[in-house]
Amino acid sequence: MTRLSPDHLVSVEGLHVSFSGIQGKVQAVRGVSLHLDDGESLGIVGESGSGKSVSCMAVLRLLRSPPAQISAKRLEVAGIEITRASKSDLSAIRGGVASMIFQDPMTAMDPCYTIGQQIVETIRTHRGTPRRRAREEALRLLKKVQIASPEAILDSFPHQLSGGMLQRAMIAMALSCRPRVLFADEPTTALDVTVQAQILQLIKEIQEEMGMGLVMITHDLGVIAETSDRVAVMYGGKIMETAPVERIFEAPSHPYTRALLDSVPGQGKGRGRLTEIPGSAPDPSSPPEGCPFHPRCPEADARCISSDPELVKVTEASAAACWRLS
Amino acid sequence: MLGYALRRLVSVSVTFFVVSIIIFLMMHSIPGGPFDAGEMPLTQEVRQRMMAQYGLDQPLYVQYLNYMWGAIRLDFGVPFQSPGETVAGLIGRAWIPSLVLGGLGVLVGTPLGMLLGMAAALRRNTWIDYLASAVATLGLTVPVFVTSMLLILLFSVWLNWLPSSGWGEPKRWILPIIAYATIPLATYARYTRAAMLDTLSKPFVTVLRAKGLSERRIVFQHVLRNSAIPLVTVFFPMFLGTATGSIFVEAIFRVPGLGSFFVSSIETRDYPLEMALMLILAILFALAYLLSDILYAWLNPRIRFGGGSE
Amino acid sequence: MLEALVTAASKMQPALQLCGIGKTFVLKSGSVLNRRRTEVRAVRDMNLVLERNSIMGLVGESGSGKTTTGMMALRLIEPTSGQIRLEGEDITEYGHQEMKEARRRMQVVFQDSYSALSPMLTLRQIVAEPLLIHGAGGATERDALALEWLERVGLHRSFGSRYPHELSGGQRQRVAIARALILEPAVLIADEPTSALDVSVKAQIINLIQDLQNEMELSVLFISHDLSVVRSLTDRVAVMFNGRVVEEADTETIFSQARHHYTRSLLDAIPVMDPRARPRRHFMSREELEAKVVTLRASEMDGPARPSGERRLVKISKSHKVEARVAA
Repeated sequence: MTRLSPDHLVSVEGLHVSFSGIQGKVQAVRGVSLHLDDGESLGIVGESGSGKSVSCMAVLRLLRSPPAQISAKRLEVAGIEITRASKSDLSAIRGGVASMIFQDPMTAMDPCYTIGQQIVETIRTHRGTPRRRAREEALRLLKKVQIASPEAILDSFPHQLSGGMLQRAMIAMALSCRPRVLFADEPTTALDVTVQAQILQLIKEIQEEMGMGLVMITHDLGVIAETSDRVAVMYGGKIMETAPVERIFEAPSHPYTRALLDSVPGQGKGRGRLTEIPGSAPDPSSPPEGCPFHPRCPEADARCISSDPELVKVTEASAAACWRLS
Repeated sequence: MLGYALRRLVSVSVTFFVVSIIIFLMMHSIPGGPFDAGEMPLTQEVRQRMMAQYGLDQPLYVQYLNYMWGAIRLDFGVPFQSPGETVAGLIGRAWIPSLVLGGLGVLVGTPLGMLLGMAAALRRNTWIDYLASAVATLGLTVPVFVTSMLLILLFSVWLNWLPSSGWGEPKRWILPIIAYATIPLATYARYTRAAMLDTLSKPFVTVLRAKGLSERRIVFQHVLRNSAIPLVTVFFPMFLGTATGSIFVEAIFRVPGLGSFFVSSIETRDYPLEMALMLILAILFALAYLLSDILYAWLNPRIRFGGGSE
Repeated sequence: MLEALVTAASKMQPALQLCGIGKTFVLKSGSVLNRRRTEVRAVRDMNLVLERNSIMGLVGESGSGKTTTGMMALRLIEPTSGQIRLEGEDITEYGHQEMKEARRRMQVVFQDSYSALSPMLTLRQIVAEPLLIHGAGGATERDALALEWLERVGLHRSFGSRYPHELSGGQRQRVAIARALILEPAVLIADEPTSALDVSVKAQIINLIQDLQNEMELSVLFISHDLSVVRSLTDRVAVMFNGRVVEEADTETIFSQARHHYTRSLLDAIPVMDPRARPRRHFMSREELEAKVVTLRASEMDGPARPSGERRLVKISKSHKVEARVAA
């Protein structure tokens, strides 16, 4: 696995993902470039259909193809080009170098096996540890994710646990082979408010302790504010803006980022109308010409309608795709 | 688990009781009787004596209770069409060819159907999938007697490889078993494909891939296990469902099994044989559903280990 | 004349009152011989007043009983105890016909509007359906009103001939709102109507509910787990925990002066929109929260109060109630 030393732990350049279906071609991701280094925390924020989940699934080649068609100038994890990776390289990366946790823990575990069996299976796949030792390791992992009675949980079936407990177990499983990067796809959306905060804090603590890279995929700007160092804002299958987290919240460059921040409820005191973004997200089977946000953008002009802006540097660490900035 | 099995047993018994009454009443509401005038004109007196001899002059519920009391001791009376033996004896003689035919047919058809269904699900939208769908659709829509005729036409008449009818030496078994096997084959190809596709679309399969498991391990260790649960429930009822299909197969290939007697008992208004056969079928169906329910519960941890914490 | 008086009197009453309502579900488990009956009290002895022309938030997590409460108010779940009063009228024992009349004055919108909209009907048919059920107006009149309502909830008239599957989540929720309000009810019960929506669309629906509430002087019971939405939308909040209300106050009071530990833990769990803050939180389990009882001195209470070791909902100001034990 040790090849040429990679520039970044994860590098994505010019990623395109489309799905061909009965109703024609759906372009889910249209030219996304991202990178992540060891120990870094990247947040990808966007609404449903923005392509944020699909991008990450593509990085681990988890999309079924067909119907998915993936092309990229570069799609590397730990120096291995994912689009051309062999079966064994791919197996080593998935769960070994890069793990992933998902939105709904209730459906993410095989209902026929106990939590312990599923964690042990992961450990043994990657490290061939003897069953007994793997079980001890699983127990240690469950303690690490702050599960109160790990022995009991180890022998429980998924349906016997609450959502929060299952998500902890999922995290334990994802961590079992000490991955260098964890992809977390809306890991708290299906959970109760207080449980959500607990799981976020847990992920953050573990990430810092293990020096692991983290990609947090979410629709919730609050989650971004609490967990990410760097942020990519996605809309209509493209990155609209990427910047350090403080800049996103304090001086957003793109009109979409600004509109998204303004529409978050509960910021002002007391009851009142919110700043809404008119209209609805673009239809991925026929995205608009020009900037994908122009039909909803208060600042759009003729240029925005006719041609699509490229991401341009705003500061050393930030970039945005908007004609107003160039 | 034991409680669940007991509860199922009670409900199945009640079902069986109700079904037995329905069968009994239906048989009695069919117009015409065995000693009606027609082919065999009888005097009033003789007719009454015959009715009394077979207990047909008593009130309906007494007839029912008498009958069921006998049935429990496997005494179903004497078949009208063959008064020299008992119904139980006749069934005992006739069920062996049926069992051989049905058993071998299911034994051949089920694994083939499962393999076909699996291949179709794993190679979705390829020629294997289309072939499997075609086979399944044909198997389920073309009646088994048409399949049987085609088999006879092909292998007996044109190619002259196999005898077209009879039982006896195993050579004669081949065609009826093939005809019979098309039913479980088609059924299982269809169910397996659907169950596998359903499981493959579950989020946990993506998680298994993300864990780095090999595709082979995912399919054999996880997808099959999950898909087997609905398949098991189909197995026993289907096993018997094909038994009713065997009526045609047996009739066409002249197999001296239960099916052929079923047909002849209806033709001759042979109440004792007909009722015995229907009761046996009812009890077998009830047992099949009972068995598949229990197996389902046992395979499914959600039922085996009771409700969750929430 | 008399009728006008009665109507006037009923207008004085709160829009909706839940008086000591409770719901106990019985779970059966175990074998035939060893049958166990477990009683789960989903909601216990709950009092709630929804004032006219206001939006009240009913907040809690899964299992708190908030959805059961909403269903009981609509009598879609029958309460095991207590009374439901709609505009002062006790509807708890109403029969089918009377209840049908009452439902005209109390409508509902659910979280998942897709499964609540018939896929076989066009949007104008869906929106006009309540009129048809209640025999209001002729066919052309109903149709005209349905189209008018589609416009009122922000959809173009041309949507009238479309089907639910052609719509986005936000548009479906608009249709569900139009259908609920076309009968001009006094009360709207909204059970997590914005939870499944994207951020930008969520704001649109929140604004729509506010606007319609203002125009129609509606009384809305807004059931949600999302405190941020509740803060922007409601006038008053009741917080539910383990089947009972543990705190109730005007919305800003809840956000600035919450007394109950559970309310505080809910507020504490809201993500902070400032990346420089990143608070470290200390969490308490449900059991710990249940064990932590607020203790108040009689002097802290609004009005006379008798000391009691039992915890109960007590008034600490004119409009603020909290579950507490009262020390002498």
